[in-house]
Amino acid sequence: MKILGVYNIKGGVGKTATAVNIAHLAASSGLRTLIWDLDPQAAATFYLRVKPKVKGSMKMLRGKRDLDEVIKGSDYANLDLLPADFSYRNMDLLLGDSKKPALQLLKLLRPLAQHYDLVVLDCPPSISLVSENIFRAADALLLPTIPTTLSLRTMEQLLDFMQGHGLETPVYAFYSMVDRRKRLHLDIISSPADPRCKVLESTIPYATEVERMGLERRPVTDYAPRSTAARAYQALWDEVKVRVGGLRPLSDFNSPF
Amino acid sequence: MHLSLAFFDSFDWRLHAAGLRLLQVATPQGKVLRLKNAAGAETVDAVEISADPGWPADLPDSDLRRKVADLLEMRVLLPVARVDCEVTGLGVLNEDAKTVVRLQMLRLNCDSPEVREPRTLWPRLRLVAVKGYEDDLAALAARLADEWEWPRAPDCLFDEAVAAVGREPGDYSSKLEVPLKPGTMAVDALRKVMRNLLDTLERNIAGARADLDSEFLHDLRVATRRTRSALTQVKHVLPDDVVSDFRQRFAWLGQVTGPTRDLDVFLLELPRYRASLPVAMANDLDILAVHLRAAQRVAQQKLKRELGSVQMRTLLDDWHAVLDADEPPGEPGWFADLPVERVAGRRIWRMYRKVLKDGRAVFSGGHAEDMHALRKDCKKLRYLIEFFRGLYPQPALKGIIRALKDLLDNLGEFQDLEVQADTLRGFAREIADQESDSLSTVLAIGALVADLLRRQQAAHERFAGCFSAFDTPDNRAQYKALFKSGDPQQG
Repeated sequence: MKILGVYNIKGGVGKTATAVNIAHLAASSGLRTLIWDLDPQAAATFYLRVKPKVKGSMKMLRGKRDLDEVIKGSDYANLDLLPADFSYRNMDLLLGDSKKPALQLLKLLRPLAQHYDLVVLDCPPSISLVSENIFRAADALLLPTIPTTLSLRTMEQLLDFMQGHGLETPVYAFYSMVDRRKRLHLDIISSPADPRCKVLESTIPYATEVERMGLERRPVTDYAPRSTAARAYQALWDEVKVRVGGLRPLSDFNSPF
Repeated sequence: MHLSLAFFDSFDWRLHAAGLRLLQVATPQGKVLRLKNAAGAETVDAVEISADPGWPADLPDSDLRRKVADLLEMRVLLPVARVDCEVTGLGVLNEDAKTVVRLQMLRLNCDSPEVREPRTLWPRLRLVAVKGYEDDLAALAARLADEWEWPRAPDCLFDEAVAAVGREPGDYSSKLEVPLKPGTMAVDALRKVMRNLLDTLERNIAGARADLDSEFLHDLRVATRRTRSALTQVKHVLPDDVVSDFRQRFAWLGQVTGPTRDLDVFLLELPRYRASLPVAMANDLDILAVHLRAAQRVAQQKLKRELGSVQMRTLLDDWHAVLDADEPPGEPGWFADLPVERVAGRRIWRMYRKVLKDGRAVFSGGHAEDMHALRKDCKKLRYLIEFFRGLYPQPALKGIIRALKDLLDNLGEFQDLEVQADTLRGFAREIADQESDSLSTVLAIGALVADLLRRQQAAHERFAGCFSAFDTPDNRAQYKALFKSGDPQQG
């Protein structure tokens, strides 16, 4: 099982759209995929038509209730969701109570290894104990970044934090919500980024199709698979898959026998 | 989605007998081989493959390969039935338009090497649970079952597919089991046994000709040997002319199938030969392996011709005529009308006495030739008991067959090891004549021969123990109780 964290300190950078579309593409390729909506705003949960409520979420986070019991299947084969819950806003406090606060999330995820090939964590913005847990649990971090000066600053903040905490989780940044009409976007994309992270080739354009996810409540890769945005996510997933490595489904996934 | 499914097993259903099913699922993405339990719901193991499975040793290294190889031994995997599967996906939505049950509509067509036209199986609707919405699935399943009265299909397609192509699991076994009723006329009972043997023989011809694996020829030869034994050992039941004619003709079949089998045995033994040599010498048998394979190919070609010959065809046709006619042609044997249990008991009892007498002679210091003769008689005794096992209570037979088998294994080992050692010496001579650089091979064969003869000596030393275990008061009492009363001359 591989764990992929989709993260940014800044909000509104296309994090949830990335998590949901990537998870959908992974599941369609036959990987048994779980997306964990860790953001109390519950956007990923909403996109996948599940009620943002986890019975006994506190117990679950303390490890007193199996994650497996609260997982919901999505509309797609191989794609399950661990829904968000409003109580997640206090997750820092809960994790802080556990014996090894920075590793509690990984501990909770471990038993799922036999059921899933890939876990995608849709992370809340800001930097906190929750984020540190995510950094420690993940095999790789995917960092959607809008090509603006402010975004680049938060990227550096993150990399400083990781360096300061001795975290070596690979960070793959990619440019998100790219508007090719904006000079600044193009300039930033073409200039070298912080050498501590790898910037992926793929970029996700700013597109109304992606915004429609809120109306459709489906991944754009499902309702508009031929759109520019969907193809961009596919290219991104292809790149991420290679970077993360070790992700190969059996050829007969979804076989009824 | 379109899938091609195929079930594989050995010709004698070894996986099925172990409660396993081997299913190949081919999709446009590739092929997966799944080993499942009998219910079909649970996959024990799975591997990706690139070509249809055949020899277990050629499968990708995995637990699946080890399990299948252990069960199949020298047998090859053959397709039992193929199923073509067209899958249409549907979903059941709740009030939020959320999928709560996934459905798969399956259209299935079945095919096998034995049938010309594909057979259509009942279509299926598969309900796939969506995690966290199991109640919706249960409600739908209950509705389909209770209101619509849709029957529940078994998880595994195996039984349905196999039945559709006209096969039945276990429809072939090399084990001789003929149900017989006491009171049946000896001639009818004997012909029933022989028909069973003829069926086994015929069913192995195609596989033996194609050399699918070595067991086809082996089973064919065992059926031939048993037929010859039934002809000569169950005396005065079939007309004498029939007996003398067919014992010669089946002897011919035994002869023409011999050389290939001998070479097959060496090829099967080869891994064990290698393992018995010091690691440094194991590769010195490579030339022998090449030599054996080449000789086997030549012998196999000849065998293929013989098994397809007019002589073979007429043998089978004529034998069918004898067995299928209302009465066998010619003057009936003296014992033809006697109840089978009397004839069987008498023959088994006499052969048993002979084995005892000769065995005791060997026990108190006999020669190798005596052991060979004793082995032949033990084999005859075993065949006789097997022909007529249907007449006797099974638990009682089990004990005496086990004791006889242990003795036979010992005698067999004693003789086979000697024959192997002799034949290997012959190979060494041939290789020395034909190959320029043969010294290391000849030396390795020498080491092998020494090892075989040492093992033969050990088998000889074990004989006394094996025979004592056979010649016990308990075993003697069993034979007496089961068979002696059938001997009219001994009352």
